[in-house]
Amino acid sequence: MRRASRTRLFILLAASIVLALVVAACGGKSSSSETTKAAAPANNIKGATVTMWVMNNGPHPVEDTQRILKPFEQQTGVKVDVKLVGWDVQFDRIKNSAVSGTGPDITQAGTTQVPFFAALGGFQDLSQYTSQIGGAGAYANGIWKTTQVEGQSGTWAVPWFTEARAIYYRKDALQKAGIDPATAFTDWDAFNSTLTKLKAVKDVGGKPIKPFGGPGKKAFDLVHGVMPFVWTAGGSELTPDNKQSAINSPQSAEGVEFYANLIREGVFDTSALEKDGQGVEDMFKGGQLAVWIGGPWVLQAAGRADDPKWSDAARKNVGIAPLPKGPSGKSFAFVGGSNLMMYKTAKNKDAAWAVIKYLSQDSSQKAYAELMGMFPARLAPQRQVGATDQNHKEFLQAIEEGRSYAPIPQWAQVENAYKSSFGDILDTAAGFGGKSYSTQEVQKQLDAAAKEADTLLAQGA
Amino acid sequence: MSISDTEPQLQPAQPLAPVPPELPPDPALTATARRHSWRRNRFAWALIAPALIFMVLVHIVPMLLGVYVSFLKLNTFTLPKLFGAPWIGLANFKGLFDSANPLHNGFVDATRNTAIYTTTVVVGTIGGGLGVALLLNRSFPGVRIVRTLMLTPWIIPTFVVATLWQFMWQRDAGIINKILVDYTHVLSHKPTWLLGDNTIWAIVIPSIWRGLPLPMLFFLAALQAMPPELHEAAKMDGAGAWRRFRHITLPLLRPLIGIQLLFGVIYATYQFVMPYIMLGSDPGPKADLLMTLIVRQAFDNNLFGYGAAISTLLMLAMAAWVALWYLAFRRDLEVAA
Repeated sequence: MRRASRTRLFILLAASIVLALVVAACGGKSSSSETTKAAAPANNIKGATVTMWVMNNGPHPVEDTQRILKPFEQQTGVKVDVKLVGWDVQFDRIKNSAVSGTGPDITQAGTTQVPFFAALGGFQDLSQYTSQIGGAGAYANGIWKTTQVEGQSGTWAVPWFTEARAIYYRKDALQKAGIDPATAFTDWDAFNSTLTKLKAVKDVGGKPIKPFGGPGKKAFDLVHGVMPFVWTAGGSELTPDNKQSAINSPQSAEGVEFYANLIREGVFDTSALEKDGQGVEDMFKGGQLAVWIGGPWVLQAAGRADDPKWSDAARKNVGIAPLPKGPSGKSFAFVGGSNLMMYKTAKNKDAAWAVIKYLSQDSSQKAYAELMGMFPARLAPQRQVGATDQNHKEFLQAIEEGRSYAPIPQWAQVENAYKSSFGDILDTAAGFGGKSYSTQEVQKQLDAAAKEADTLLAQGA
Repeated sequence: MSISDTEPQLQPAQPLAPVPPELPPDPALTATARRHSWRRNRFAWALIAPALIFMVLVHIVPMLLGVYVSFLKLNTFTLPKLFGAPWIGLANFKGLFDSANPLHNGFVDATRNTAIYTTTVVVGTIGGGLGVALLLNRSFPGVRIVRTLMLTPWIIPTFVVATLWQFMWQRDAGIINKILVDYTHVLSHKPTWLLGDNTIWAIVIPSIWRGLPLPMLFFLAALQAMPPELHEAAKMDGAGAWRRFRHITLPLLRPLIGIQLLFGVIYATYQFVMPYIMLGSDPGPKADLLMTLIVRQAFDNNLFGYGAAISTLLMLAMAAWVALWYLAFRRDLEVAA
């Protein structure tokens, strides 16, 4: 009897342990602790409190946003409670808060995330308000498109700030290799030729330097780095109706292969593939790379003495160029940034809109974008920032000629499938992973990615 | 006298007193006894009620809901409906085993990698822990300092361990390759650890390094509590070190090894932090574990049904492991009790 009860007790204990661990495996991420009551009509916004989530856009994201909003608070009597939600957790927290109805009043969201969040049904259609900020006409077409959802009416967000990717190069390295920066990156041939010449430059100022580097699959934005080459080759991420993947089309494969071939040609530092985007950015700042593809915030960081990651030589010799033109005869950069979205459960929608409207003024757009090292989303202040100097002019051109992805709710998942595939292709090109690199292997891996993407695109209710 | 004579004989459990044949219960008596028993145990039930309710709410209910989700088409478009998402039966499970499904290969890779990871980490931590415990179960100058230092990896959080090793594994700047190639010339060229085939070892080795001290601590405590007379007697009979270890030390440590195995396999199978921190949300086909696959499919890709299906299979696998383990170590538990 004693033995039997011991056995039962043991089984109970063992089962509890297994259950506890399984619960840990099955359990979802916690939803937001922010509690917001149902929306209440408010005729007067004075005295209202608006809660706003921002991501770590710069070194002091909360303080910088509060600084921009201080005149607004003084003028209107609205208090804006700015809270930080890190980029590493923001997707889950916004998703959970939108589904559960327990979010803040306003949140920042990545431009490519807006269609997914809008599909959750927890966000306010802002169509009734947008005429107050000039509507679509005040923004570049590509940027305004990031506030829409394919196949649906409604405006689910307002653009806040913009960024695009461009080529960063070391002026001193190009000079040592005898390359004219004006023609160094004009098209794929020039790009290849420049990197090949830079390969011969073993060091600059006695410090070893590699021609080029880009992150591998660990980077959340790997797809942003590869897709411009797909676009310039005439390829696309999806078919024109956005119903199927086009990543395995001959043009798309040509673009991916061009990027991967940089590894085969020995101009791509494969140690960068071990790193995430920040790691490779630090390699450029530290003077280890002559050429790198990055966003405008790095340009701003070059002017900041409190950023210790810069080597003196790199800091003093930053040059910017648009991405090279490909077989299509065009040059495209990925254009991203962040938008502002209002929750349906916002306590005081008028006050929440007043905050968004204030942040959409040309002056506050310019001030905030400069603090972050980004570009304003609105055309007028964007052009003002672009006129600052030659480097900013190059970035403005990249934004104006840039592209973003199809505004569909499944995009984030399709992007994950492409990220895995691009990462594997780059690893294969570098000789990691046991597969031998060839055009057929690239095609095979892209076919697999397209198949996975098609499954994701086909999902519905 | 042979060595087998000195081997501690495990005493069989005391025979139980003969149970009298059961008589048909008297209904009136049984009801009274039940009432009496309930009154007597009421206070005890009240004391454990909060813990019981907590267990049900925090463990049982979420687990059952997790299993329920594995039968739903819960994705980007049905997420707002949550548990009201369409019921699709076993479709999520079938998809995992259907080679035409694009998610099949990822599941196969992650299952293989998890099996390799769990086996090597459990063998490494328990075997290594026993080896180090045997070495430290001797007296030599500074033994206390060495024992304390050996515990250091255990007090470092896994997150920190993964971050540190991520830097150490880097091909060009990492200290591992500097030691292997630049300082000792063990290898002629610097291998890449964080990409390709070596990635599984990049997570296995730090996991063993991090996990080894705890079994070592248990084994060391058990070795020090072991009666020295057994070894002395065997030594006098001419038994060598290996035979004493094989026939005295190992049998006495068997219950402890059993417990370490039980927890070690479960802990290693549910490993998430090490690959996620070191290699990112997609550790690649050679190091993606089932836990990273579950989190990626469920939370990054919103394929909650697939994620829950893999979680359910993992739960069943662990239940099978516990049952298997119980069969293998039941005798040791009875002795320990």
